[in-house]
Amino acid sequence: MDISALLKGDVEQWNIFLVSRLPRLLAILCTGIGMSVSGLIMQQLCMNKFVSPTTGATLSSAKLGILIALVFLPGSTLWGRAIFSFVFALLGTWIFVWFIQSIKFKDTIMVPLIGIMFGNIIGGITGFLAYRYEMTQALTSWESGHFSLVLRGRYEIVYLVLPLIILAFIFSSHFNIVGMGKEFSSNLGVNYKVVLVMGLSIAAAITASIVVVVGSISYIGLIIPNIVALYKGDKLSGTLPDTALLGALFVLISDMLARTIIAPYELPISFVIGIIGSLMFIAIIFHKLKGGKKLQKGVGINGNKCSCS
Amino acid sequence: MTIERLKKKYDGKSVVKDISFEIPKGKIISLIGPNGAGKSTVMGMISRLIAKDGGNIKFEDKDLAKWKSKELAKRLAILTQHNNVQMKLTVRELVAFGRFPYSGSHLTAEDLEMIDKAIEYMELKEYENRFIDELSGGQRQRAYIAMVIAQDTEYVLLDEPTNNLDIYHSTNMMKMVRRLCDELGKTVVLVLHELNYAAFHSDYICAFKDGKIAKFGTVEEVITKEVLSEIYNVEFEIMKIAGKPLTIYY
Amino acid sequence: MEINAAALKEKRRMLWILGALVLLSIVFYMTIDVNLSNSKFLAFSMKLRTPKMVAMVVAAFAIGAASIVFQSVINNTIVTPCLLGMNSLYTLIHTVIYFFFGAASIFVVNAKASFLLDLVMMVVTATIIYGVLFKKTNYNILYILLIGTVLSSLFGSMQEAMIRVMDPNDYDNLLLTLVAGFDNINGEIIVLCIVLLLLVAFFLRKDIALLDVITLGKHQAINLGVDYDKCIRRMLIGVTIYIAIATAMVGPVSFLGLILSNLSRQLLKSYRHTYLILGASMIGMLSLVAGQILVEHVFTYAIPVSIFITLGGGIYFLFLLLSAKKG
Repeated sequence: MDISALLKGDVEQWNIFLVSRLPRLLAILCTGIGMSVSGLIMQQLCMNKFVSPTTGATLSSAKLGILIALVFLPGSTLWGRAIFSFVFALLGTWIFVWFIQSIKFKDTIMVPLIGIMFGNIIGGITGFLAYRYEMTQALTSWESGHFSLVLRGRYEIVYLVLPLIILAFIFSSHFNIVGMGKEFSSNLGVNYKVVLVMGLSIAAAITASIVVVVGSISYIGLIIPNIVALYKGDKLSGTLPDTALLGALFVLISDMLARTIIAPYELPISFVIGIIGSLMFIAIIFHKLKGGKKLQKGVGINGNKCSCS
Repeated sequence: MTIERLKKKYDGKSVVKDISFEIPKGKIISLIGPNGAGKSTVMGMISRLIAKDGGNIKFEDKDLAKWKSKELAKRLAILTQHNNVQMKLTVRELVAFGRFPYSGSHLTAEDLEMIDKAIEYMELKEYENRFIDELSGGQRQRAYIAMVIAQDTEYVLLDEPTNNLDIYHSTNMMKMVRRLCDELGKTVVLVLHELNYAAFHSDYICAFKDGKIAKFGTVEEVITKEVLSEIYNVEFEIMKIAGKPLTIYY
Repeated sequence: MEINAAALKEKRRMLWILGALVLLSIVFYMTIDVNLSNSKFLAFSMKLRTPKMVAMVVAAFAIGAASIVFQSVINNTIVTPCLLGMNSLYTLIHTVIYFFFGAASIFVVNAKASFLLDLVMMVVTATIIYGVLFKKTNYNILYILLIGTVLSSLFGSMQEAMIRVMDPNDYDNLLLTLVAGFDNINGEIIVLCIVLLLLVAFFLRKDIALLDVITLGKHQAINLGVDYDKCIRRMLIGVTIYIAIATAMVGPVSFLGLILSNLSRQLLKSYRHTYLILGASMIGMLSLVAGQILVEHVFTYAIPVSIFITLGGGIYFLFLLLSAKKG
């Protein structure tokens, strides 16, 4: 794109800019901000640093919702699909959170594992339905998220992210308190259940509105909040702007990579983020593992020498 | 067994610093000391479970590292604290593993005899066909000791054998250890937390502090007010009961 | 001489019954809907069904054995090599080789050469990656699982990204060898696979007995005179080769190993790995062949077997994960 032509007021260039480039940029920013913030909210509410739309069944449920809309309401608009997607994302997330809360233990690693498996099962159901109704082809376009189809007129739902983020900002201290536990929050006069349900709904709504436009992009909600927490600590209101900005930056850089690696073609961004994201996630796990080890050593050297258990 | 200038580091931090001592044959030797003093690490190194960072361990006049693992398994047995079996294994099957260094998985008549003897010795006859994971902690511990007995080694190393046992079972465990030494002539090395068990049942005591040996000697030499107060940083009183020194700390 | 002759006899009987059932299902599969009096038709359907049947038997054995051995090596029954992404690694390696050598190379044209190169690369990368993983996590099973599932998605993303970048001709060729499934088995390498399977089994026959001891835990195994580290390394290499063979023949089936190994352990309640491995592979053969009969003749290809395995396996895994923690 030629900036000088743009400045001269070339109508053609302006058209490209407004129809394709600007929507794309906005969609990228909304995706980055939205996914990382919804990850942050979920981590706070579940008291677990490894929960996110990807590891909490939100993303896979949102996809199932879209597929159901496609199968049973073939004439549905983008908005119709978004609503289906939202409802399913919400249900999936609620079931997951109810599940991990009803089992008494809270092993840090167990919770995301259950989430991943739960997501796999929902993915299996989605795959089965798609196969049954010959929708496999349609499904693949949501399977891998990409921005190449983001054009004026078919992406505006993504803007829903903005009011939702503002809502999250307003209630951030509430989420923080609920994250401290049920007793803690009722002690401070915060209604645990209402805030929990509201927080999860916001996260699900953000996820759904992004999935329906760009498709599924994993790991952002998982790694961005963790990176911010590494240097800023865990208080939500303080970390929220950082998380949002870093998320936007991360998706923007990934998108540039996706477009330049095999230019003039472009890679779906979900692959780029999938690769970078999973590597970063593994690095974070190793980092946590090391920190945990040191803690154990302080207690005594007998404990961690027994690798047999 | 002779230990010379033994060293071990974890993440750059020395946990065992230049330790030398000798394990007298046919006796019970208890290793005592506060948490993190290095006793379990020393135990791990003399039983080849943990790699050493420096020093020499001589077993029967031959460097421990030069022994073939299988040959060593016929002369030296170690039982650690954490034994977690995921398999469905009966007591008898577990004890039979003690014969693995000798016969692999094809047992001879002699092996079967040793297995029966070990089971009887640990009074496990009535449980011998029960699964390990269905037993109580004390029974399971006895089953593992029975395996070590079936292994029929001159040296037996036990890392906190009384851990997680109640008073009845840990007292019985210590009596059993004494019998292993007196009746079967084995050399037993123990890591113990309970000072009075160490004082009452062992012949020698090796006291550790901060990765070094604070005192090595007979029970009477080590179990004294001065030595123990120095090692544990609390006040001690020593009393004599049945001719043995017993400790009270406060 | 045996320490528990009666129980052992019972377990042997169970294995014989399983074996008989497997034979029965194979015969049934081969002859169902076949007109035996028409020799031409018979020959045709045999030619069609034999490779499929052999592939199922080989895959069941490879996956069953690899899963049992792997579980015992890391002393945990809710993990299988496929859950840690070993089959995605194989698919990735296969794609990488196509990507760098191109469609004209010997490693692409010749199915056997291609498979052997895959195998070598697989053994090297898998032993490095998983060796580091086990060591770094200090054999902490939950961390291994979490990182393993992430690795599995990482390999998936890398492979898909590579496909997008690939030359369309290479891509077509790749697809032919990659999209293996029970309805589309990779026939060219069957003999090679069988030979390899048997060779590995022969070389590791002594280690299988050591595995009985290794399940007592690392310390006990060393105490009983097992050369632990070397034995584990040999075993892992064997597991990698088996998974590569299974993936090359019938494609990735993530949860199958988990189901087979746990069913076998529950059915036989034995610590003897020869029995467990035989049990798991025969349960695998039985369920694959029976499943295939159902898919081909009852559902007439309406539902692919893999979706059944994913759904059932996922739920079963959640169940195992939860009950293991509580117990």
